[in-house]
Amino acid sequence: MISGLVQLFLWQGLGELLSKFFLPSIPGPVLGLLLLLVFLCVRGQVNADLNGVADAFRQHLGLLFVPASVGVVLFLPDLKTHALAVSTALIVSVILTIGVTAVVLKVCWYVSLKRHKGHRHD
Amino acid sequence: MTKRLPISEVWVYLSGDPLFALIITLATYQIGYLLYVRARRHPMVNPVAISVIATCLIIQQLKMPYEQYFAGAQFVHFLLGTATVALAVPIYTGFKRMQGRIFHIWVALTVGSTVSIASAVAIAKVMGAGDNIVGSMYAKSVTAPIAMGIAERLNVSPTLTAVFTVITGMLGAILAPYILNALKVHQWWIRGTAIGVGAHGLGITRAFSVNEEAGVFASMAMGLNGVISAIGLPIVLTYLRPYLGF
Repeated sequence: MISGLVQLFLWQGLGELLSKFFLPSIPGPVLGLLLLLVFLCVRGQVNADLNGVADAFRQHLGLLFVPASVGVVLFLPDLKTHALAVSTALIVSVILTIGVTAVVLKVCWYVSLKRHKGHRHD
Repeated sequence: MTKRLPISEVWVYLSGDPLFALIITLATYQIGYLLYVRARRHPMVNPVAISVIATCLIIQQLKMPYEQYFAGAQFVHFLLGTATVALAVPIYTGFKRMQGRIFHIWVALTVGSTVSIASAVAIAKVMGAGDNIVGSMYAKSVTAPIAMGIAERLNVSPTLTAVFTVITGMLGAILAPYILNALKVHQWWIRGTAIGVGAHGLGITRAFSVNEEAGVFASMAMGLNGVISAIGLPIVLTYLRPYLGF
């Protein structure tokens, strides 16, 4: 478990350095993610330690943003005045996002299936 | 003879300590998580929402300023970056199972995240929400750790972004099955990808409990969506900002 954490911290550190000196518009952890992804693709496998820690993080990702979310107390008056706008925006946007993504993917998939079949018949 | 501390002094000592903020944060989350498991992982019983609401109530009751709470809770907050890096693992696992579907997924992710941002920002703006709220709508469909990183880069509130992200996740996890059934989308990998883009963390938990393939694709879509947005949003907004007027 410790070894998995150490690996993650190292990639995060590398990402932060890259972000600081070369790519300030991209957050360091995202660069760390990309570096680790390249590393995994080159290695062709995920070691068990890393997999375990990554799984634990994925399962309890929510806990990590509690401290920041509690800051909502500072915005309560603002949110109350605009409650209708906020809830409409969030609900409509969620429905559109899921719907559009699914439909685009489905259409793309059928188009490529058809084309694939067409080639086979040629 | 040792002098006995009056109880109020014990309290002053404890509340100034990072331990106190950590205890509230972790304990409320643990309680929320137990309730969530009890409720058979129903998306309405979200452990994060329970923990946030309970913590807000507690610190307001105690008249503890948010800054003081955060000074303690930042140790949990710090791990967000590490958790972001860890997303590389599910993306990689998803890559291995994509087999010739990468182009389709790429197109769907780009269109999906554009729709998500454009619709939320446009609606909030048209309905007259303040700049603070509109700005925080940009990154709300990205998984929270990355969303907050983006928010910091865009100079909008990471807090509101995190709150909108949590609500989006809850809504998405609740609504997704109905939306996807109504659209007659039955392939598990397509359903998973759509849920990963629209409902991130909480949607993934739901997807995994229904179908393993859906879960893998949802995790991958969530990670990729975050990466695309983190790279694309600051660039796009630098050019568009003069026209958007915020």
